[in-house]
Formats: sequence, structure tokens, C-alpha cells
Amino acid sequence: MSGFLLRRILQMVLALLGVSIVVFALMHLVPGDPVRVALGTRFDQELYDALRERVGLDKPLIEQYFSWLGGALTGDLGVSFRNGQPVTTLIMERLPATITLAFAALAIALIVALPAGIISAVRSGSPLDYGVSAASQVGISMPDFWAGVMYILLFALTLSWLPSSGFTPFGDGVVEWARHLILPALTIGLISGSIITRFVRSAVLEALNQDYVLTARAKGLSEWQIVRRHVLPNSWIPIVTVVGLQLGFLLGGVVVVEVIFAWPGLGRLALVAVKDRDFTVLQGAVLYIAFMFLAINLVVDIIYARLDPRVRVS
Amino acid sequence: MRKAENRWRIIIVMVILALAAAACSEGESVDVGDATTSTAAETTQAPSDDGTTAAPADTTAPPAEAAILIAAQGSEPDQLDPHMTSAYASFQVLENVYDTLVQPGSDLSMEPALAESWVISDDNLTWTFTLRDGVKFHNGRDLVAQDVVYSFERIIAEGLNGWRFGAVETITAPDDSTVVITLTQPSPNLLVSIAGFKGMAIIPEEIVTDGSIGTNPVGTGPFRFVSQSPDEGIVLEKNPDYWRASEGLPKLDGIRFVQIPEAGTKLTALRTGEVHWIDAVPPQDIESLAAEDGITVGRVPGGDYHYFSLNQNRAPFDDARVRQAIATAINRDEIAEAAQFGAATANQTAIPASNVAWYYDYAPYGSGDAAAAQALLEDAGVSNLTIDFLVTSDFPETVTQAQVIAAQLAAVGITVEITDVDFSTWLDLQGNGEFDAFMLSWIGNIDPDDFYYAQHHSTGGFNFQGYSNSEVDSLLDAARVETDQAARKALYDQAAKLIVDDASYIYLYNPDNINAWRDEVGGYATRGDNAIRFEEATLN
Amino acid sequence: MSDAVQLDRLAEKPVSRTRETLQTLVANRLAVAGLVVLTLLVVIGIFGEAIAPYGINDIDIANRLQGPSGSHWFGTDDLGRDTLSRVLIAARVSLQVGFIAVGFAIAVGVPIGLVAGYYRGAVDSVLMRMMDVLFSFPAILLAIAILAVLGPGIGNAMIAIGIVYTPIFARITRGSVLVVSEEVYIRAARSLGATDGRIIFRHILPNVLAPIIVQTTLSLAFAILSEAALSFLGLGVQPPNPAWGRMLADGQDFFQQNPWMGIFPGLAILVTVMAFNFVGDGLRDALDPKQKSVIESRGQSA
Repeated sequence: MSGFLLRRILQMVLALLGVSIVVFALMHLVPGDPVRVALGTRFDQELYDALRERVGLDKPLIEQYFSWLGGALTGDLGVSFRNGQPVTTLIMERLPATITLAFAALAIALIVALPAGIISAVRSGSPLDYGVSAASQVGISMPDFWAGVMYILLFALTLSWLPSSGFTPFGDGVVEWARHLILPALTIGLISGSIITRFVRSAVLEALNQDYVLTARAKGLSEWQIVRRHVLPNSWIPIVTVVGLQLGFLLGGVVVVEVIFAWPGLGRLALVAVKDRDFTVLQGAVLYIAFMFLAINLVVDIIYARLDPRVRVS
Repeated sequence: MRKAENRWRIIIVMVILALAAAACSEGESVDVGDATTSTAAETTQAPSDDGTTAAPADTTAPPAEAAILIAAQGSEPDQLDPHMTSAYASFQVLENVYDTLVQPGSDLSMEPALAESWVISDDNLTWTFTLRDGVKFHNGRDLVAQDVVYSFERIIAEGLNGWRFGAVETITAPDDSTVVITLTQPSPNLLVSIAGFKGMAIIPEEIVTDGSIGTNPVGTGPFRFVSQSPDEGIVLEKNPDYWRASEGLPKLDGIRFVQIPEAGTKLTALRTGEVHWIDAVPPQDIESLAAEDGITVGRVPGGDYHYFSLNQNRAPFDDARVRQAIATAINRDEIAEAAQFGAATANQTAIPASNVAWYYDYAPYGSGDAAAAQALLEDAGVSNLTIDFLVTSDFPETVTQAQVIAAQLAAVGITVEITDVDFSTWLDLQGNGEFDAFMLSWIGNIDPDDFYYAQHHSTGGFNFQGYSNSEVDSLLDAARVETDQAARKALYDQAAKLIVDDASYIYLYNPDNINAWRDEVGGYATRGDNAIRFEEATLN
Repeated sequence: MSDAVQLDRLAEKPVSRTRETLQTLVANRLAVAGLVVLTLLVVIGIFGEAIAPYGINDIDIANRLQGPSGSHWFGTDDLGRDTLSRVLIAARVSLQVGFIAVGFAIAVGVPIGLVAGYYRGAVDSVLMRMMDVLFSFPAILLAIAILAVLGPGIGNAMIAIGIVYTPIFARITRGSVLVVSEEVYIRAARSLGATDGRIIFRHILPNVLAPIIVQTTLSLAFAILSEAALSFLGLGVQPPNPAWGRMLADGQDFFQQNPWMGIFPGLAILVTVMAFNFVGDGLRDALDPKQKSVIESRGQSA
């Protein structure tokens, strides 16, 4: 088991290294650099050269990368070109908002998807099944930015039930925390839930067609007892897979929703970093997002290996 | 059923982790409430700056609820070092934290600020400023003349705006209350150059040496910096030692700048009352917003201008007739209407009519005059022209305008292709001369030198279109040192005429400056230079 | 199933298996509806300009932001352009983005998956780690960064989205290859001396097509949504060329003045994406023997 774990961790480190190289390469292929952006329309060649030298952008790329890497390995992700703050601080400030939104959205997604998927699989072919399928179809097909804006117009402006934007930390009041969290979490959660619903449904359907279910039915167990005792324990692998993937995606891929709801998350930090060519911030932010994604995948794989001996072998 | 038990265990662990993550996300909760009460207490003891024993305006008990104005910005400030930032969002904040030597008043003429008065020598080469007494930095230290010297020298050495001191020879502080500036040539617009906006702020040296200036600004302005976090935005609190405290200023207890990049969300936040003030209003929403109860829309003609320019280093755009043809084929009113929904004034020169001192009424080009345009093109021997317009979606009006111009020029047989990139790429392409035409806008200026020199002088730092006219050069150079107002205006009018006739820039319009706020906000007005000053603002 | 039965089944000519697949597919009403819609879209994509009553940049400021009317069935946008015409012509753009981006992803991802799954070992590790790198990169940011490097324009947007979707195809292909290469007939072919290339293309690839095809339709749907998101952030198609995503994003800015401006492109996206999903679901049901037996045992069509 520990050999397996070590190998997987090594693979994760390699992947992270790969990510950092890709970001670094991309950023230096992109036209423009942070000094140019900082000078804006008041460009002056002398000043440009002086500032570039001051922030170390005139050194050869390899040297820049390795000095960044050296710092990163000791926990120092460098300093933002744009505002001089340490990258680690910038990321840490935004981590709570990102994690909160991701887990809240996932919670909503699961609350919707698990019952809907199971019921529609058990009652496959019924109008209920069609209803769930149709709803999940619409859920997947909706652009997230459109949904988010619609929710704001409905719940914040027209009904005035909820605030339109911003993040209130948990420590500042649970009620406000929840009120600010609901709309963005709903926006992403319903879409995510639609995706998960379909996986749950097909996993449960597949389990329902196994021999042991026929046996259980022959033994006279009720449909729900069958679901609880035989179907669910055997259908969770694909469900956990997709949940893991979704969570990984939620932790870094919800840039658009963050922009709409003015949510101070990592995605928005990275987006601004791309626009301003703030290399160090982008490298740090993407590294964190990739790390969380890979770590979750690793956890999911460990859960598999622990609980399903067949998987360990492959 | 070990598997099922394990599965439930995992779910429970995940839920606990999630709650733990949420609970640990305290963020920085700034207790502005406490700061407010202590501030109010200090106000009663602050000495008034003119030495009289007049009591400060609010000696009564602290307000029951702190008057904190919540202001929503559409973009994010980068850093808070006034000498090193070019982000408008940063200046919205810094406007209220720092002061300059003098400052533009609401009519944009220069009035005393940190300097109470000044005299100019007879040869126009020496300016002597007398500083106001009793001004304190937010860290408690008194302002002295050496601070002015330090600030200006820093700008010259490493700030983004060092070029504004081009004519300055020396800056000295003979005593704590006097600053003397000597020039190499007369500079009638010196005041605007060295104090037109907060990029020329007076800072204390200690925050530079300890490296905190970018994240912890310390100035002399009506509000002092408290904190900055992604959750709360930028928090400012009242400066009890402000040099206008005797007038009861500032009236607000604090300001909180929040960043809401999505325009629709920002509008909604204003409508629901979640924020009190927003910086810009999408032009199509001005009408409906103004008609709404509880909201005031402030609108004044602004000093910004929108334009596009053709690359004179590329044929056939080096031929003035081609440029003139384009300048006359377009319809500026239609462009302004499309992009700004009427909140703009078409203009064939740069300086807006609202700038009474310097406005030059000159409009030689027709509007949508296809016949004249085609004649010019034929004259130049050009047909089937294709122009690649460089625009940026970070300035969305440029994208809209380019599409309108494309339709307008199609009527004259010119095909327009649009290249829409992000601003960083735009700057890069423009800097390298890789464009047929680029389109952008310039932020409001006050002095005509700012409108014309850098862009149209052959050595100008922003002359990317490759314009070179020696007559314009000598006119602009002469105007820089001409101290007689009327003569100076005449020089600029002549220069402007040449620039417009040569179509070095094809000017489009001057947009209005627009802010919106809730009716509970008083004492605030939109300014012609778009500086955001909450010095006299109140919140009911 | 016994080996003999398996071999018999495999000895069936591919044609009849295709016919069987098609029969199942056609029985699925939703999938058929999806196919009809997609065919209609392709026709519109090809003949867009001929069908559209106006051009894509016929600006008419005086008549902007109008709702549906006799002369403008879908109303006009903020520059007075006819929304119907723009929606129709944008169909081509959106379909192009979808097909070319996904085509790129398949062309790169499937071979990677084939090689990784077949040869396993170090090759597999290296290739899959590279895919991991792409996969763990937030999709939108990767697309934005690639677009910034390549420059704006629809072609580059396709490449950017294609790169983002490559890892999925690699993974799915690899997963299926891992399973299929354990099958009896593969070992048989190897023992008969067939070369690797022959095995991969003749025996493995046809048998892993099913999940690839299903994923294709799903990715097509997502590619269109990705283009919409990029447009929302101000990237992608160059104006004035219309694309549904950009039109939807622009429509949101003018929602208060004329909601119809965004509703029609939004509906177009919704309908197209749903059509792709229905067809994808139908294909999955038809191609996947396990699912097929599910349907048969339940005694009705899905």
C-alpha cells in the first residue's frame, strides 16, 4: 500500500512540476509583460528597461524559472509584480472563499443528484425518470454565466431576498455568510448536480441489472431495501470518481461565476494575473489549484484501493 | 457491510472537513466600529489648525451608527504607491488618502492644498511655495518642506510620472515651510504638471524605506488607510487630524472600496442598497437608473477623449489624403450615440467644449461625407483599401466603435477588419508598430500640453502613429514656455488645426463622466477630471 | 459468454453490427429529435448567409434594441443589427468551433491513449503524466493563456479549446484500451504474429470506438459552452463576426433594455447543446452492449 502511495505522490509532484513549466512557458510566450502593463499608455523605453531590471525580468528565462522553483520549494512563491505583495499571502487570503464555494456547491450538487439519480434509476422509464433526465439536460446545457446573472436578477434585484455579490467570512456572522454563499453555490451546484445525476443514474442502473439483484428480488426484498443493501455499495465507484473530478474542477475552474458574483476566489486572482501578465501570481495560483485537484484525485484513488482490491491490481 | 460503513465514514469525514474549512475561513474581520468611537473621541480634542479656540464641528456624542460609505469600483486597484501605479482604481482610493502641493478645484483651476500660497519670480524661472501649517501625516508626524522635496525627487528618479518635471532644475526646502522650485525654462502649466492628480502625491520618506508604501499608504488626506483584503476590499477611516478638520471635514467615519467587476452586478448592488456609490454606469443604463427613486446619477462633461489613429509608417496611411478621407467618411455622432447612448459630445479636436479656457472650435470634416471621401481616395490613387483595427475588449467601447466604423467605411468601399486582443497584447502590438489603426481613449487632462505633446510631437513618448510635422513641433515647444495665456492659446489652436488637418489622430468624442449614488449620500459631486473625492461627503 | 460464442460474435461482419446500432438509435425518440436538430443546424451553417435576411454588420442605430417585429423576427441588438440573421450565421461559427476543437482533441488525444494503453509501462506513465498536467490546469485559464499566446481569432480559439479537451479523450481511450487488450482475440492476434500497428488499428481501435464516440458528442456540447464562456470574458471570435456565446454575453449587458437580445442566442445554445447530448445518450445506449441489455431486459425503449 505504501509503495502505491509513494508512487502516486511522486507522480503528483511530477505533474505539478509539469504544470509550473507549462505556466512559465506560456507566460513568457505571451506578448506583453507586467512592466508594460504597469506603465500602461505612458510608455517610456528607459523607464521600461529600468523597471524590468529591477524586478528581474531581464535575466535569462531558465535562470528565472529555477530561481522561482528554488523559492517555491521552500514555500516562497515570490512577490506579485502588480502590487508587491507576497504571492503566498494573496493566495491564502483567497483560499477560504474558494474552498467554501467549492464545498457548498458540491453539497448542493449531491443533495440534488443523489436522490434524483437513484430514484430515476429505480423508476427507470417512468415519467419521473424522464422529468429528471430532462431537468438534468437543461442543467448541463445552461452556460454558468447566464444562470448566475439570472439568479442575481431574480433573487437579489426583483425579490430582494439575497445579496447580489461579495463574500462574508464565517467568523463575521453565519447568517450573512450563508446569504452571500447561496446564489453562487446554487449557480454552480445545480450545473454540477446535473452532471452527477446522470452518472449516479447510470451507475445505479448498471448495478440494478446484476445477478445478485435478481437474487435479492427473488428473496422478496423490497426495492428500497435492495437499493440500500446491494445497489448503493456497489455503484459508488463511478459516483466517487465523478464527484472527485467535479470537486477538483470546482476548486479552480469557476472563474466566470467568481467574476459575476465578485467572489474573492483563486480563479479571479488567476484571471487578473493573466490579464496583467503577473507571472508569479499566476504560477502560484495555478500551482495551488492543480495541487488541490491532484490531491483530491489521489484521495479518491486511495479510497478505491483501500476498499476495492480489484483496483489495486491494475 | 464493511464497505458501506467505510463509505459513510468517508462522507462524514468530508463533511467535517468542509465545515472546518468554512469555519477556519475567518478572513480579516476589521472592527471599524472601535476605530470609529476612538476617532470621534479624538476629534473633540484635536486642535484647530488656525490657532483659534473654535470648537470642532461635532463635539457632540459619537454617532449611533458609524457612517461608512461603501463605494463599488469596477476594476481592481493594483498597488497603492501613488508614484508607481497607473491604475484608475488605485487613484480612486488614493485621492482620499493623499494630498498634492496644490490641487484642481471643482472647476479644474488650481487651488491651494498643502501649499497655501505661491509666488513666481519675474523671470518666471523660480516658484516659491509656502506650505500650510499644522498638517500631519497619518502616522502623526508633521509635514515639512523636505517631504515635498523628497516626494518630487522620488518621482523624478523612479516614478511613472517623472517626465512631468522635465523643465524643473532644482527643488529645495530652505526652511520647514517653504519649497523653492527653479526651472530651466518658463513653465506656465507647472502647477498642473506637478500636482494635477494624485500621481504627484506628497509622501513621507519612512514608508518607502520600510517598504510598506505599496500596501500601507500613509498620507495627509481626509481618510487614512486601515486595511485591504479580498473579502472586505479597501477600508479607510476618518483622519481626525485632517487639515480641514476645523470645517468639520471629513464628515464620513470611513469608506470601504469594494470591487465588483461585473457591471450588471454592480448596478444591482446599488439598486438594492448594498453599496452606496458606484464609479461608472454602463451608458445604456443611465436613463433607467436616473429615473429610479432613491438613486442620483451625477453627470458632467469630461476631459477624456476617444480616438483612433492610422499608422503613418505604413502605406497608404502615410498619405494624408487617405487619412482625411477616412476622417470625413465616418459619422462621429452615430459613433458617439452607439457607444455612449448620448452621454458624449462628438468632437473633431481633443479638448472638450467644457474646458472653456482652452477649447478650440474647429470641425473641418464632413460627417459621413462619402463623396468627399471617395474623391480624396481617388486623388491618392487608392482603392479597395483594407484596414485592420486594433482594439481591446478591456475597453469595450473600442470594440463597439470599430464595428460602427466598419459599417460606415464600407459605404466608401473600405473594408475594416477588427483585431480584438486583451490590453497587454494591445500595448505590445501598438508599441511594436504592428497595426494599421489603433483605437483607444485618453483619460481627462486639464492642460492642452497634456492633450497634444506626447501624442503628436515628433519626439513625443506616445507618438506611435509616426506623425512628424516640424511646424507642429515648434508650435508645441513654443507653447510650453509661453506665459501669456492668450498667446499660449493661439499657439495651441494653430497646432491643433495642423494636427486635425493632418488627421494624426482622428478624434471621435468626449464622453461624460458619470457616477451614481444613493440619495442617502450627500456632499459629493462628479468632477470634470473624474477624480473621486469623498472629502465633503455625508451619509444619512 | 464462452470464448466460442465471443469469437462467433466477433466473426459477424461489422456491417450488421452497425445496422443493429443504428436500429437501436433510431428507436430512441430523443436521439432522433437531436439528430434532426443537428442536421438542421448543419444546413443553416452551410447556407447561413443565403437564408439570413440581413448581414452581420448592418448597423442601424435608429432602430436598435427592439423586440421581435415584422421586419426583425428576433428583434435588433445594441447596434440595430438583425438578431435573427446573426443567430443564423453564428450557427456556422459555433459548429465550427465545436467540430474543429473536438476534432483536434480526438486527433491528438486518441493516439496518445492508444499508445499509452497498449504499451503500458514507462510510456504509459510519461504520457499520462503529461495529460495530468493539462487536466489539472483550470480549463478556462489554460484556454485564455493559449489564446493570449496564439493571438485572437476563431482559429486559435479552436486550438485552445482543443488542447483543453485532449486529455479527456486520451484518458477514455486508454481506459478502454486497457480493458480490450486483455481480450482473447488480441492475444490470439499477437500469437499469430501480427505487428503492433496492425493490432492497434485493426483490432483495438474499432473496439474502443464506442466510448470515444459518446465522449465526442458530449465534448461537442461542452465545446460550444466553452466558446460561450470565453466570449463572456471578451475572447474568442473577432467582432463583428457573431458567435452565440458573444451574443449572449452582449445581450446580458442590455438585458434591461431588450431581453430578447440575449434570449435567442441563449436558446440557440441550449437547443444545440441539448441536441448533442440527446444524440450522445442515444449513441451510448445503442453502442454499449451492457446498456443495450439493460434496455432489452426492461422490455421497452429508453
